[in-house]
Amino acid sequence: MLGELDATGRVVIADLEAGLGTLSRAEAGLADVLLILVEPNPRSLEVGRRAVELARERGLLRLLIVANRVRDAADLALVGEALPGEILFAVPDDPAILEADRRGAAPLDTAPTAPAVQALGELARHLLERSS
Amino acid sequence: MKLAIVGKGGSGKTTTAGVIARLLARQGLDVVALDCDANPNLGISLGLGPEETERLVGIRQALDDGEEEHAPSADELLTHFGAPAPDGVRLAVVTRIDRPNPG
Repeated sequence: MLGELDATGRVVIADLEAGLGTLSRAEAGLADVLLILVEPNPRSLEVGRRAVELARERGLLRLLIVANRVRDAADLALVGEALPGEILFAVPDDPAILEADRRGAAPLDTAPTAPAVQALGELARHLLERSS
Repeated sequence: MKLAIVGKGGSGKTTTAGVIARLLARQGLDVVALDCDANPNLGISLGLGPEETERLVGIRQALDDGEEEHAPSADELLTHFGAPAPDGVRLAVVTRIDRPNPG
């Protein structure tokens, strides 16, 4: 599906199904960039590690690891150790995200200056620089 | 550019997708957000609210119920059912397409 969609002149962002199902069926054209979301805990990191493996097998070469809900340097180190050599973006653990969830609202609307939103801004800039 | 977001359930995929989509759209890019999750709530993270998000998912399901022979392509979905979201993002719920073909 995503492989068929024409992305000429636009950015297509696909929020894939949770888990590895889509990747296990993916072809090289699935995406130009794959963001792999992980949290600093063993179960999430295991899914992340498998995602990296599958992506490489399927010819998806541009991977970015997003370490979400990072509390401190130890959390970030845990992610780095589980996924060595990958490009890593850290998004801090931030109650503003939880609060937006509770209200059924977008964090950009309820807490545009929250640390997690700012970190995602960095990530968006990184992607923007490489999209042209 | 095609950007796909993957991760364990609850890892923050949808929130990340919603924020990034709108921030890129604010930079003047034409941004299309595709909700491929079995529990489609990208609309909420984009700021459409729970009711509008639920309505879009309902449209998607009605479409599936009516079309048994020919599944719509992502382009068709976007053209006919793409919904405007804040900052000029267009959202399409494509969940069904992303599932394995049952036969």
